[in-house]
Amino acid sequence: MPKFKLILLCLASFASSQLGAFGAPASAYDLTVCAAINRNYVIGSKLVTLNGLFRRTDAGGFVHFGLNFPHVFNVAYDPRNRDVLYLATANGAVVSRDGGKTLRIATSWDMTEAKDICLDPNALDQIFLALPDGIAVSTDRGVTWTRREKGLPGRGKYTQTIEVDRTRGGRVLAGCESGIYLTEDAGRRWRRVMVSKATVTDLQQSPHDPKVWMATTQSDGVQVSGDRGVTWKRLGGVPSEEALYNVAFDGTRPGWMAVSSWTYGVWTTEDGGKTWVSRNDGLPDGHCVFRVGIDPGTGRLYAGVYQTALYHSDDFGRTWVVSGLEGSTIGNFVFTPRASH
Amino acid sequence: MTARLILFCLAHLAVVLTLRAQPSFAGPMPSRAVVERPDARRLAYESRIDEVLAWRSALAKPTDPLLRDMAVIAAKLALREDAERCSLSVIELMKEPGSGPFWMFPTVCVAYLGRDQLSAEAQGALRTAWSSTMQLRGDTENHWAMYYVSLYLMAQLHPDGPGSSWYSGKSSSENLAEARDYLLHWMKLTTTIGQGEFNCTHYIGEYAIPLLFLSAWAEEPGMRLRGRMMLDWILADQFANSLEGMLHGANARTDDTSLIERWNALSTFFSWLLLGNTATPAGYGGWGIYFAAVAKSYDLPEVIYRIGVDRDGDFLQRDLKRTRRRWRNSDVEMAPIYKTNYSRRDYAVGSYQGGISDPIQAHVWDVTWAVPDPRGVHNTIFSMHPISSSFDMQMYFAELPDQMTKGVTREGKASYDSPDKLLGSSRFERVFQDLDTVIALYDIPPDTRFPHINGFFSKDLADLTEDVSGWIFARGGDTYLAYRPLAPFEWQPLKGFKSSWTADRIDKGDRRLFSPHLKNGTIVQAASVSEFATFADFQAAMRALPLKFVLEPVPSVTFKTLRGKTVSFTYDQVPVVDGKRIDFGRWKLFEGPYLNAEKGSQKLTLTHGRLERVLDLGTVTVTDRVRPE
Repeated sequence: MPKFKLILLCLASFASSQLGAFGAPASAYDLTVCAAINRNYVIGSKLVTLNGLFRRTDAGGFVHFGLNFPHVFNVAYDPRNRDVLYLATANGAVVSRDGGKTLRIATSWDMTEAKDICLDPNALDQIFLALPDGIAVSTDRGVTWTRREKGLPGRGKYTQTIEVDRTRGGRVLAGCESGIYLTEDAGRRWRRVMVSKATVTDLQQSPHDPKVWMATTQSDGVQVSGDRGVTWKRLGGVPSEEALYNVAFDGTRPGWMAVSSWTYGVWTTEDGGKTWVSRNDGLPDGHCVFRVGIDPGTGRLYAGVYQTALYHSDDFGRTWVVSGLEGSTIGNFVFTPRASH
Repeated sequence: MTARLILFCLAHLAVVLTLRAQPSFAGPMPSRAVVERPDARRLAYESRIDEVLAWRSALAKPTDPLLRDMAVIAAKLALREDAERCSLSVIELMKEPGSGPFWMFPTVCVAYLGRDQLSAEAQGALRTAWSSTMQLRGDTENHWAMYYVSLYLMAQLHPDGPGSSWYSGKSSSENLAEARDYLLHWMKLTTTIGQGEFNCTHYIGEYAIPLLFLSAWAEEPGMRLRGRMMLDWILADQFANSLEGMLHGANARTDDTSLIERWNALSTFFSWLLLGNTATPAGYGGWGIYFAAVAKSYDLPEVIYRIGVDRDGDFLQRDLKRTRRRWRNSDVEMAPIYKTNYSRRDYAVGSYQGGISDPIQAHVWDVTWAVPDPRGVHNTIFSMHPISSSFDMQMYFAELPDQMTKGVTREGKASYDSPDKLLGSSRFERVFQDLDTVIALYDIPPDTRFPHINGFFSKDLADLTEDVSGWIFARGGDTYLAYRPLAPFEWQPLKGFKSSWTADRIDKGDRRLFSPHLKNGTIVQAASVSEFATFADFQAAMRALPLKFVLEPVPSVTFKTLRGKTVSFTYDQVPVVDGKRIDFGRWKLFEGPYLNAEKGSQKLTLTHGRLERVLDLGTVTVTDRVRPE
């Protein structure tokens, strides 16, 4: 082989190693995707496809790890030990202490169909669980769980999403059927800070400014708070007759965000929510976007299209490429810094 | 040579047909005479069990070294045959376990039946499967009944397993305790405020089968007895709501087929097996195999048998049930269901008060008539609002809003999002029943999907007449029917669903009464043919009954029924009969000549003539007695 060709090949290989799949720069973050690839699955069937947790490879593909488990909606890692992970699943809270190889259903029959789970970064033994009938907390790394619902209404406490304020231990926001609830004492007492007509579907804290929170809702559009979730106002510019499913901040670019919607697909803003645009060219017709996520290391935008595939965009939604996970429904994207791996 | 070949083929065909015969499905209808002698009843019962097991066992291909499903293995183990093949097959099947209650309970059935028949390797394979594959608990009460009975029994069978040996990560004792705790919770709920999935044409199996397993195999005497008591409880409830073995409305859940061909349901399998008063559905109801495999351990109490087959005359039964659990979009977690059942020799009328008991498969009311042979007969009439609603689905399912209405049509509920469906309940329907009169009122918001009502008119109705009075008269079997639409309508052909799993349609010969008026209503009055000299006399009697109704601002009816009662019923208001408001607050858990229970009591008294059985789940006691004359 002529020398110059070898050099070119080496250069290309080096460049490729510095880029993720499809030309994206390698990320400083790991990505775990909670996904079900189970079209036409009915309960009890043989699992003929892989479901549960998928890890992004260096080449940008996705590999399954852990038990084949349909209906895993979210995962939270213990930053002290990434082999400890907590799952929100149809069977309740599930804990693994060996990187997902073995699992334990940590809750009993009285806590089922968990929707979301999160760890308190200021009290790492403390885990919060969103349930269709309220909220539960574990203070012993998921061994035992108790309900902490004082201040939640008797009805209207269907909880779709729960998120800890990373700057203050025990300060948690929960998105429920009847609005957004805030606790500042780890769930011992909740108060409603935003009233909604239907379920609040997602809550996220800005990576750039911890005072800023965003929420998506089924009937109240995109909501924003600039005071740590105490008060909320609705953002204009995003269609909101129908449900919005989740919101993602771009950790690389302040003011850049994306929301997902079954009806409207992907909408993005690049000016802090002042203006929004539809970014669905290149996605399948009919939208059906279940989830968006943004790699905090590279700004790559991901969109999970219901039972179709995972797509990504390196130009913030202007063009899209199939990323893999064909046939999947994405429950969540979880980015964790590689340094802590 | 050719003749010999033909003879051989014919002989082979005869063998195949004999082996595949389902005599109680394809043969003549059984006698409906009450079998008085207990030993004769038992003999006939066991003979029916043997018929099921022999049929299912014979479906195994003789040339295949393996059995291809758990049902045939269960049948063979119950017959104590082919143990070696069963073992090899179990080992093979356990290489790819299923993932939830519909896999768990057949596995438990085989594990227990095979305790002294399966090889150690096969038993080991069964055990391993329960560690290697995550089992999903599901999201309905029938899922949980199957899941937790199965988990209970498997944990009992393997009592010393550490968490690492179970899919749940919990030890045998933890699994057993959790399962027991849930089952006791469900039993208490059901025996205090009523069953959630009540009178289901198919899901009856998903309760009866695990309860039978519990009653047969639980080692703890209390759980064993509770299993048997709950089985008695739900079977008594079913048979009181059955007409010659056909479960009629209202049903918390049914399907597109059973809804119109009332006989064609898994519930009928239980009537056939336990009462012997009807033909079995094809394939013995499918899941029925697992009941049959263990059925010899059960003896239907005589009092329940007689409630099912030996009725002196008309009876009125009022029951309290509840909706399934509502996660959101509701002020209550479980709403009460006030259910009425009026049964006569020729027909039965059943209903609950409207609203949603189940979001997809509920059936709120109907008149079902008896026929000599119900196979293929669409022997029912009713109306309904065919709503398709994400709001309703969210009430009962913990899912994001949009995919549900579409996804559910691929999960055995094909009709859900179809405007001509007949299956389902609506927030915009209110129903009141007094004996054999039903008034159904509708107040449908204009933006509702779908904004109309459907009335079901069977191909098997005879002498259908649209009378100038506004009544539609017809005859079903020996039942006269008068159906009064309260708003204009048109007839539309109705293509039925081929099955619940496909959107494919076939012409079943029925018609749909389609009425697009949002404020609407239906009155139905039934009567026995024997009550009138002629059909014309029935019609004349109906025309003469005072009827006043308005549709604005909400539908409201005042009607003097054929039974001489004046019923006033206004949408969303308490019905009034002869000037007296119906007090739903005093509705008992069961109230009627055969089943009686106070709300909250956990105690059901079953009565037939002088026979009495009291099932007291509170004290876990069964008391039988013959009441003094």
